[in-house]
Amino acid sequence: MALSGMRGLSVFISDIRNCQNKEQERLRVDKELGNVRTRFKNEKGLSPYEKKKYVWKMLYIYMLGYDVDFGHMEAVSLISAPKYPEKQVGYIVTACLLNENHDFLRLAINTVRNDIIGRNETFQCLALTMVGNIGGRDFAESLAPDVQKLLISSSARPLVRKKAALCLLRLYRKNPDVVNVDGWADRMAQLLDERDLGVLTSSMSLLVALVSNNHEAYWSCLPKCVKTLERLARNQDVPQEYTYYGIPSPWLQVKTMRALQYFPTIEDPNTRRSLFEVLQRILMGTDVVKNVNKNNASHAVLFEALALVMHLDAEKEMMSQCVALLGKFIAVREPNIRYLGLENMTRMLLVTDVQDVIKRHQAQIITSLKDPDISIRRRALDLLYGMCDVTNAKDIVEEILQYLSTAEFAMREELSLKAAILAEKFAPDLSWYVDVILQLIDKAGDFVSDDIWFRVVQFVTNNEDLQPYAAAKAREYLDKPAIHETMVKVSAYLIGEFGHLLARRPGCSPKELFSIIHEKLPTVSSSTIPILLSTYAKILMHAQPPEPELQNLIWAIFNKYESCIDAEIQQRAVEYFALSRKGAALMDILAEMPKFPERQSSLIKKAEDIEVDTAEQSAIKLRALQQTSNALVVTDQRPANGTPPVTQLSLVKVPSMSSNVDHHVAEQGLSQENGTLSTVDPQPSSADLLGDLLGPLAIEGPPNADVQPQQNIVSGVEGVPNTVEATAIVPVGVQTTSVQPIGSIAERFQALCVKDSGVLYEDPYIQIGIKAEWRAHQGRLVLFLGNKNTNPLLSVQAIILPPSHLKLELSLVPETIPPRAQVQCPLEIVNLRPSRDVAVLDFSYKFGNDMVNCKLRLPAVLSKFLQPIPVSAEEFFPQWRSLSGPPLKLQEVVRGVKPMPLLDMANLFNSLRLMVSPGLDPNPNNLVASTTFYSESTRAMLCLARIETDPADRTQLRLTVASGDPTLTFEYDFKIFLSHAANLSFIPSADFSDC
Amino acid sequence: MIRSVMVMNTQGKPRLAKFYDFQTVEKQQELIRSVFGVLCSRAENVSNFLDATSIFGPDSSLVYKHYATLYFVLVFDSSENELAMLDLIQVFVETLDKCFKNVCELDIVFNYSKIHTILDEMIFGGQVLETSSTELVKAVEEISRLESASNSITLVPKSVSGWWNR
Repeated sequence: MALSGMRGLSVFISDIRNCQNKEQERLRVDKELGNVRTRFKNEKGLSPYEKKKYVWKMLYIYMLGYDVDFGHMEAVSLISAPKYPEKQVGYIVTACLLNENHDFLRLAINTVRNDIIGRNETFQCLALTMVGNIGGRDFAESLAPDVQKLLISSSARPLVRKKAALCLLRLYRKNPDVVNVDGWADRMAQLLDERDLGVLTSSMSLLVALVSNNHEAYWSCLPKCVKTLERLARNQDVPQEYTYYGIPSPWLQVKTMRALQYFPTIEDPNTRRSLFEVLQRILMGTDVVKNVNKNNASHAVLFEALALVMHLDAEKEMMSQCVALLGKFIAVREPNIRYLGLENMTRMLLVTDVQDVIKRHQAQIITSLKDPDISIRRRALDLLYGMCDVTNAKDIVEEILQYLSTAEFAMREELSLKAAILAEKFAPDLSWYVDVILQLIDKAGDFVSDDIWFRVVQFVTNNEDLQPYAAAKAREYLDKPAIHETMVKVSAYLIGEFGHLLARRPGCSPKELFSIIHEKLPTVSSSTIPILLSTYAKILMHAQPPEPELQNLIWAIFNKYESCIDAEIQQRAVEYFALSRKGAALMDILAEMPKFPERQSSLIKKAEDIEVDTAEQSAIKLRALQQTSNALVVTDQRPANGTPPVTQLSLVKVPSMSSNVDHHVAEQGLSQENGTLSTVDPQPSSADLLGDLLGPLAIEGPPNADVQPQQNIVSGVEGVPNTVEATAIVPVGVQTTSVQPIGSIAERFQALCVKDSGVLYEDPYIQIGIKAEWRAHQGRLVLFLGNKNTNPLLSVQAIILPPSHLKLELSLVPETIPPRAQVQCPLEIVNLRPSRDVAVLDFSYKFGNDMVNCKLRLPAVLSKFLQPIPVSAEEFFPQWRSLSGPPLKLQEVVRGVKPMPLLDMANLFNSLRLMVSPGLDPNPNNLVASTTFYSESTRAMLCLARIETDPADRTQLRLTVASGDPTLTFEYDFKIFLSHAANLSFIPSADFSDC
Repeated sequence: MIRSVMVMNTQGKPRLAKFYDFQTVEKQQELIRSVFGVLCSRAENVSNFLDATSIFGPDSSLVYKHYATLYFVLVFDSSENELAMLDLIQVFVETLDKCFKNVCELDIVFNYSKIHTILDEMIFGGQVLETSSTELVKAVEEISRLESASNSITLVPKSVSGWWNR
């Protein structure tokens, strides 16, 4: 009845083996579990033998993958059985089934402790094994001192002591705060004098754990480690059973050398000399032999010796010797040695001065990229990646590209990412960089993330010399029969922006460019179509003089997509169609994209995150520091500018909307290299990637030629008290959060007061856009909630705090906004009576741990319920006179305004839905305007306004407003206009484009 | 530290699975499946190393050895030497061979409990405990002797579970 002798268990195992399928197996397991459960319930009749059998069955079932949620107590209870077999099962099974925090373990602590301090060695071993395998905190607290005693006890047998050493190690590793090892240095040194190699191996492992935490305390152990190593390397006093394939305990050699690597250096010259002698012996005396096991063992020692040599920063001569050895290894037949050769060479990159020696092996390493073993290919790729610099980038990247065509699926993504990064980091010239990336897209388009092609666009846009070349390359790829969609995107973008630079080349007339791109349209997905539409618009703009035929073709396409179900496509089609009829004005609107602000490649950042091998990572980091950075690697020059960290990390987002806005606020009017386009309305839909990339191309509504001068008027009225600000019923702004909004909330609100669509709020996670339609006293406003991230926004809440004069009805807002999704929430508004109060949207959401809450004024302001109405002099003056004095007519003098031409002021009024009637007022220095106000209580109500300027002093004005309703007259205060105007002056002119 | 020892056959059936950091049973199965998924696509005469980071997370390596119908797998972190781990698999198999005289898969299946005992004598809490197969065999024989010795005593002990019923 030895270990294996449980008939019941054997029968059960055979039954399981005989099961034809998983279903049968499950039935058999369920039956057995039922059986075991019943037997455990009725414990009285259960002999320890039976109990043991059942517990083994449970463990077997557990290994098969079935959850065993009962019987834990039975397993634990076996620990306290008096006889060895039951106790043994109890310990083994408990160690397998229970995790360290299981309550039952606490119940067993006393028994375990008794076994450890007891006299029975076999019980001691069992208890130590379980404690060591589980390693829980409770165990550490109550048992560590006993285990320590056992380890240094002179009476305990080696069998017990080696277990005690490892048990202590485990308890210490898991609970370094609980296990007290103060003053253990001396004991540790004594333990290293141990002759028994089993105990010595365990003690050496313990030393590794201790020195890795605090090497200072263990200097006294260092010479002993060197002695041990000498003893083994010289094969002195090593018993036969610890000689493995003729090599004296390779594990102990390896462990000892590992322990030595935790000491920063070896100062004592004698010790150092002895150690180097041993190391030299290992390096020189290891040959590749026939026996695989012997080979493995000797090379285990050799590679550890290499690592130690590297760590000790030996003389250059020895280092070169190491590299030479590694160079030999990467060419041997034995795949394990090849693998480790490459891996260790990668680590070697950390050591300065040997890179040139490593480069000599480049050809061999490239050969390894074609090794039949994927593990080896991976190591070769890592090494090539690590050793790449400006001098060999071309060769290495081209090899990677070549390999890409044949590489298996599992490696392609990594290959393309690495090729892209190396190309970016070490490009000798930019045109080569463009070549590489286009090839990459061509060969492995599926694995080229958007980041990569955005980056190309960024470089090409920022480098004028590169533009014709890039456009020509893109044109070449378009000739290929079947190209990847990413290639369609990038070529279309490049052709749209820079295609006109190719004008004189064959096959590059606007018409030809258009048709080659348009050929691809049927094959692309809806995310690419907007890019193509933009390209068409750009081609059309560049076709000078206009080609009617091309125009008709493109217009027909815009026309077709005007009814597209995809809002992004539809909007673009409508806008481009309208824009492209503007003639010359189109030139300005669709001019080239301005240069992008330079920033660090998030691609490289991302790659650094992906790196997992710590050694490799540090090697690369170190080299990144050493390498003088190439022109391509640029750092973010405006780090503190509130550019959202999330977006920066997650995508290159080259021409990002947020950065444009950000840019604008920070450096208003500055550094817009291409002044013609500057910032355009951020669109609600630009929350998606594509919108981000192409957002600035799409302009809402036709640009109004009258708009330009307005800027001047507006800046003329600065300094007028801001009544709108004062009328807000609640303090408005972002609260209780570290998340900062992008752009000014107040300015966004002001802008929306004079137009019907735009962005109400934006932060790194969300963009809230608005589109509104107003009809008399009713309005319909749609909130576009766009999640900008790849994680969902949670606990989304939108509550409208309505002022008394508005009836507001918000449709249901979903609690979660999925990643990169946009949710539309219509809001119905009814204006009950005139009031200057403002409705507030109380919006909150959760992103990760950030709870963001903001209160945003909604632009459902009084002027939205106005409709301009023309009046004649005959109608105006009788009305004007009949409304005589307060409360129906209010007058105020405003001083300190900046002078502006009367015409500009008229335009401002128009944008505020007041109809200016020119020439109505006999005095040419005055303006009169009329409008109708709609509310449920007042219905349509005529409202008149007059502004009188003093030609002698243009800094003052007299404003008069009159209506048939005293409330309206009061609420519709002129200061509102002026405060609008004052605030509007801060807004970039382009925001007016659709006023 | 060694994180896990797995033995599975060429059909992916686990024959032994030991995790030195606690894993739930679902997670264990998932890990076994993922490892098998990679192993079964490996050709002969390639290296014994596998990229384990995709399965076990950062700082993990995997070595395996293929014997007849079985894969022996060790997963460990960077504090261990890869080839030494490979040697350890060899020691394990040699020890099994000594214990069972020409070990085969069936020995491992039916002597499930004994395999656990041998493993516990070789790897302890994720650390190498014993590397000499001679010593291992000795230890296991001693345990077997103890078992049979106590089994030969016919005294029927009382139920031992009363201690926790307080």
